[in-house]
Amino acid sequence: MGKDYLGEFEELILTMVAALQEDAYGAAISDEIETKFKREVNLSAVHVTLYRLEDKGYIKSRMGGGTKERGGRRKRIFTVTSAGLAMLRAMKETRLELWKMVPQLGLGLKD
Amino acid sequence: MTSRQNHSQPHDHPNHSTDIWLRLLRFFCPVQLYEEIEGDLVQKFNADVRKFGERRAKRRLIWNSVRFIRPGIILRHSSSFHLISLFMLTNYFKVASRVMLRNKTYSAINIAGLTLGISSAMLLFLWIEREFSYDQFHADKDRIYKAWNKRVTGTKADCWNITPRVLAPTLVEEYANVEAAISYAKYTDSYLFSVGDTRIMKDRVQFMDPQFLDIFSFPLIKGDAASAMANPNSIVVTERFAKQLFGKREAFGGSLTISVSGSDFPFTVTGILKDLPTNTEFDFDFLIPWLFLESISGKEQNWHNNSVSTFVKVKAGTDIESFNREIKNIKKTHTSGADDTEVFLYPLTSNHLYSRFENGVPVGGRIEIVRMLGILGICLIIIACINFINLSTARAQRRSKEVAVRKVSGAYRRSLVMQFLCESVLITFGAGLISLLVVFLALPFFNSLVQQQLSLDFQNLTFWVSALAFIIMVGILAGSYPALYLSSFRPVGILKGGSISSSGKTTMRTLLVVFQFGFAITLMISTIVVRMQIEFVQSRETGYSKDNLVYHSLVGDLEKNYQAYKTELIQSGVAVSVTKTSTPITQRMSNTPGIYWKGKDPQDRTPIERFNVDENITNTAGFTILEGRDMDLQRFPSDSTAVILNETAVRLMGFEHPVGEVIVDDDQKYEVIGVIKDFILTSPYQKVEPMVLLGGKKKWVFNVIHIKLNHGHPTEKNIADLKNIFSKYNPDYPFEYHFADVEYARKFSDLKGTLAITTLFTSITLFVACLGLLGLSTYMTESRVKEIGIRKVLGGSVLSIIKLLSMTSLKPILIAIALFSPLAWIAMNWWLNSYAYRVSINVWIFLVAGASIIVIAGMTIAIQTFGAANTDPVKTLRTE
Repeated sequence: MGKDYLGEFEELILTMVAALQEDAYGAAISDEIETKFKREVNLSAVHVTLYRLEDKGYIKSRMGGGTKERGGRRKRIFTVTSAGLAMLRAMKETRLELWKMVPQLGLGLKD
Repeated sequence: MTSRQNHSQPHDHPNHSTDIWLRLLRFFCPVQLYEEIEGDLVQKFNADVRKFGERRAKRRLIWNSVRFIRPGIILRHSSSFHLISLFMLTNYFKVASRVMLRNKTYSAINIAGLTLGISSAMLLFLWIEREFSYDQFHADKDRIYKAWNKRVTGTKADCWNITPRVLAPTLVEEYANVEAAISYAKYTDSYLFSVGDTRIMKDRVQFMDPQFLDIFSFPLIKGDAASAMANPNSIVVTERFAKQLFGKREAFGGSLTISVSGSDFPFTVTGILKDLPTNTEFDFDFLIPWLFLESISGKEQNWHNNSVSTFVKVKAGTDIESFNREIKNIKKTHTSGADDTEVFLYPLTSNHLYSRFENGVPVGGRIEIVRMLGILGICLIIIACINFINLSTARAQRRSKEVAVRKVSGAYRRSLVMQFLCESVLITFGAGLISLLVVFLALPFFNSLVQQQLSLDFQNLTFWVSALAFIIMVGILAGSYPALYLSSFRPVGILKGGSISSSGKTTMRTLLVVFQFGFAITLMISTIVVRMQIEFVQSRETGYSKDNLVYHSLVGDLEKNYQAYKTELIQSGVAVSVTKTSTPITQRMSNTPGIYWKGKDPQDRTPIERFNVDENITNTAGFTILEGRDMDLQRFPSDSTAVILNETAVRLMGFEHPVGEVIVDDDQKYEVIGVIKDFILTSPYQKVEPMVLLGGKKKWVFNVIHIKLNHGHPTEKNIADLKNIFSKYNPDYPFEYHFADVEYARKFSDLKGTLAITTLFTSITLFVACLGLLGLSTYMTESRVKEIGIRKVLGGSVLSIIKLLSMTSLKPILIAIALFSPLAWIAMNWWLNSYAYRVSINVWIFLVAGASIIVIAGMTIAIQTFGAANTDPVKTLRTE
């Protein structure tokens, strides 16, 4: 079912929202991704994904305060819902199980 | 700019230059999301300023905001307006097509009217677009100017655009702002081109300076623009002319011979031009450098001789107004005050549409015609829209229940407006598609009418976008009033069984019909006036006899064989009379204000037409001698310095006894030996100019031979014999001849085109208006069917019922005639004012136009009402 499936970018954003806690909003998330993963992301893509995740019920949002840095505009703070947390956990487990199925080849590769 | 002053300080707002992008974003972005998005963008911008600097940050901000205009954002508008209207749209179209199918007559009337309106407007707009594109394709068009003269005499100023040959080189030499300047001229002369056995005669010759190809963007297929004209014996030809001359052989680098006045000159083709587009004022097959002409007759240095067009390309950034002040007195300076004509530059791009000067200022020109046809196009569209409006509002009753039910079920007024607009757009869309086909099929015919090569550019995206926008616009124009009207119904009254009151709407409909027929009557009167003007001028006395009068160029060996040629023509019975002249009798050669006579007012600068003749001109052309005698070189050899005046010239010069007076032209004295009745040399619409028929003192002035054919023989035989004799005395040249009457008739071709166009659009307007009338009267008789039944039962006669029904429909037409006839009168008076020789507008024109409109409209209505008046009342009254 499509409802239970998250794309790679969606998963990344969802994880970031969970990680950044009270500081999870569009610009911060995109900054964090850029500095941590050296990955160029577009602000609009982050926003669209956030809204989509909210539609799916994995995160919820409320309006936070504005800062001078933002020209006084308020930010929308996202927090992970329990459904979102369950989703993250489920995905992590599936991945771990998959990882276990992979033969540990690391040492033999040099030959 | 506060942002520049301190970089470390975060900006409240990025910048004014980026403001527009944020505003664009605000337009697309759902309102509940905008604040946070803008906040994030600003935050990002401030971070970027620190990281990359202000310039790059700004670029990134623009890019980031534009990226937000994406479906994932735009479709998040909180009202679900989009979804509903998309869903309802299919319903609207379904209902619209059902309504259209149920009332086939109305749909047909609507679509036919709109199709005619749209296709005519499209044709006109295509033509207008072409007019505006004239000479707009030159790469440096904004820097190219044409030189004009301005002569101020007292309070009057005359402007004309023929300038001295020496102007262009002087401008280049003396003014730093001039990048290039050239002389261009088109002279009437006979040039024979020969390549092997191919011989082509050209009687118009174009000369230009080498930089011509640099200034104008006429692309060369072969050859080098910079050097193509460096040599006096080089020639640049168009692709088409090259093909005519060289056939399949390679033309570039090929040699050809040009024969002029008995001498042969070798030429080399140094450039082949792409055939000229039709949207340029230039018209030539080949270009010859001035160097060639100047290698024969020397450089023309005379500032008084205005004989060429001068084109100037100024350097970029030149302020043309101040430059014009600089060059204003260039003639005065170079003639030490003898010539006080001013010179000014006028943009090339204004040349086609805005080149009419009155009293020294541009006052329009061809743009007036363009505007008139533009208005015509818009009016045609409006008339078609009026049909739609009238039919929809007249039939509103039928849709009232639908509107009521929709409203009761919760439809907003806005969505009802939307629904009716969809219907009208759908209908116009259908009409638009048919129009495209109609325009496509009608273009060849229309092209021949307007003498253009217009085409529909199906591959051009702009064409499709503008066509679509145009159609939607027409749909909204036609549909908005009915939509607002229909959606305003109150459901309660309607569903209770009441009817909508429509008395107010009837006035509106009447007004619209008045406009339709008012426009029709205006056009009809114009058509009649144009036709009368043509007939009036055609019947004007030309002053000479055009029958059997033939002329051809005096070229090649004819110059030395002229006497023998003439004698044989007359002896063999082909011709009655033969004479040499400077130009054909239908064309001007040159005019000059520089002819002097005893008692001439030195301030008088009226131009006088020159026309050179040798002898027997009166017999050949059939002039009427009023006084004195014809030229006769046999009896009076001194007649080569004699002159014959026309009546207007005698009036101008104020001679009481003209014969024996002396006039001076170009330092040569001529004795007046006779006076002839005025004849039309140039335009039959204007006054006859004062003219001098000068003797042939200068042998080179003769270019044309006029021959009066023997009317005792059939014309075909005469021409065949003439050809043989011509070839005998002039074997090298092809025989090309013209009939004077055919050439004279050409002077009317412009106006005949105008007539054809007005006739066409008058018929279309009238037809569309009548379609609307038919629809309205059909509706009216339908809705009054019971009334008619009752009237018949109570003893009303068929005739009285027809009268009753027709009068209601005819009333607006009578009002239209009364209101718009004076308007047409004013318009046509203005039009006729541009002709010195013009017909006067009579009252009967209005009577005829009005009567014919009433008859046409009456017939349209009568067919309808007659049927209604004859229906059996039993059938109509039984239904309830």
